[in-house]
Amino acid sequence: MKRRVGGLETEYGLVCVRADGTRALEPEAAARELFRPVVALGRSSNVFLGNAARLYLDVGSHPEIATAECDDWWDLVAQDRAGERILADLVSTANAHLAEQGEDARIHLLKNNVDSAGNAFGSHENFLVDRRGEFTRLPGVLLPFLVTRQIMTGAGGVVREGDGGARFVFSRRSDHMWESVSSATTRTRPIINTRDEPHGDATRYRRLHVIVGDSTMSETSTWLRFATTDLVLRLIESGQVLPELKLADDIAAIRAVARDLRGSQPVELESGAALSSLEIQQRYLDLVTPLADEGEQIVLETWQRSLDAVRTGDRSWARTRLDWAIKESLFEEVGARRGIDLASPQIERLDLAYHDIDPERGLFSRLQQAGRAQRTLEDARIEAARTTAPTTTRAHLRGQVVTEAIAHGVDHVVDWTTMRLVRPGAMPVTVLDPFATQSDEVDALLAQIRAGGTPRPDPV
Amino acid sequence: MSQQTFSSSGGTGDDEQGEETVVGGQTFASAQAADSLLDEIDEVLESNAETFVRSFVQKGGQ
Repeated sequence: MKRRVGGLETEYGLVCVRADGTRALEPEAAARELFRPVVALGRSSNVFLGNAARLYLDVGSHPEIATAECDDWWDLVAQDRAGERILADLVSTANAHLAEQGEDARIHLLKNNVDSAGNAFGSHENFLVDRRGEFTRLPGVLLPFLVTRQIMTGAGGVVREGDGGARFVFSRRSDHMWESVSSATTRTRPIINTRDEPHGDATRYRRLHVIVGDSTMSETSTWLRFATTDLVLRLIESGQVLPELKLADDIAAIRAVARDLRGSQPVELESGAALSSLEIQQRYLDLVTPLADEGEQIVLETWQRSLDAVRTGDRSWARTRLDWAIKESLFEEVGARRGIDLASPQIERLDLAYHDIDPERGLFSRLQQAGRAQRTLEDARIEAARTTAPTTTRAHLRGQVVTEAIAHGVDHVVDWTTMRLVRPGAMPVTVLDPFATQSDEVDALLAQIRAGGTPRPDPV
Repeated sequence: MSQQTFSSSGGTGDDEQGEETVVGGQTFASAQAADSLLDEIDEVLESNAETFVRSFVQKGGQ
């Protein structure tokens, strides 16, 4: 598939504390406070927004944004960043409300993957894949790539080892993966989840669900997750014969690769041979290179630069662009300045601050302002993505319907494939093609919306 | 890391093109910004860091 649709679902961590850092509200109560404006409008804590994204409260009181479907990876990054801002506004409103009531309570939303008790939550990538061809070989080819991808796209962090020591790793999430492939997502932690609800034409597409990714703050890291995986999927779909890179043990390997900051430790393959994580990543990069078009050369270059940063130890390019390298540099500097080591709770506090989505106080935002983390997307593009769905996929249709319905005060229900008004006799409009951007039925629905209902200002 | 070099990359526009301008070295303005950032970080780390960390517990998601 040359043109592919993808989406990103992010579960956010939530903590509500007093000025002294102790817990002020339990996550459930804090989440209810956070979603009050959402529920007031939609009578539900599960809504689709004018930009066609889904905003809801997930299992364990994790606020979640599922972006609209995008066929351009920078569109997707813009939608993901827009989602952060939408949530940040909810946080700001909730905190103001708590303050007005004289409560010593402040909510923080963290775009990360682990809490302090070791509970994990995810950043899930969705990719539409072609149903034709050998879907059965997909895991075997994709898994070695996904297991080692963290040396490029990992969010970085610290793990405590059994002896009480601490070490910096490419990804803390690696320790929370328990299975390679599965169709459940809450009982087990599979790297790939196979789902046959493609939210599209099931005769043409399947939906691939990748849950191994870290929640990434850096736009380059987020972009790379999708742009590189897209090329590997294209490789698989090409049907060409590929070298056998299946690992002997994905779950052991993903933990070892997380800890191997030089990318040089041999990882055992099923064949009995052994390759380092760098060698495995380089193989994939080399294999996809002939499949990349002119506009995608930048993906290959960025991928290569990321690998080179690990191979050579020269962080000068990576330390403003890749989350793990930005964080590594930050931890070293702060650690030296304050005379603390990686095991210190202050470093954990620093990690949480890094993922705090508060636009003023969140550390990643401050790093961008200080020029220590690159800003790639123009602010205007992110702002536009808050209210406008991508125009080149089906999201465009859903976005129009939701936007118009809200503006005209018309009750509506939408999901990924259908839209309908809440009226006696209203027929749902179904759009199965994720690439559809025009539909006579949707046009008719829009006409109905504009004809009926009382105008109301757009709230979100 | 003994020296801080504050090189801001030329990340203009929507896509990261091949060419980029790298501004190397340390200007007075960026050094100030960096110091104030480190001071801010100090403040955060000095106020109940461990307690905050311990407060952050949720049930797992997916």
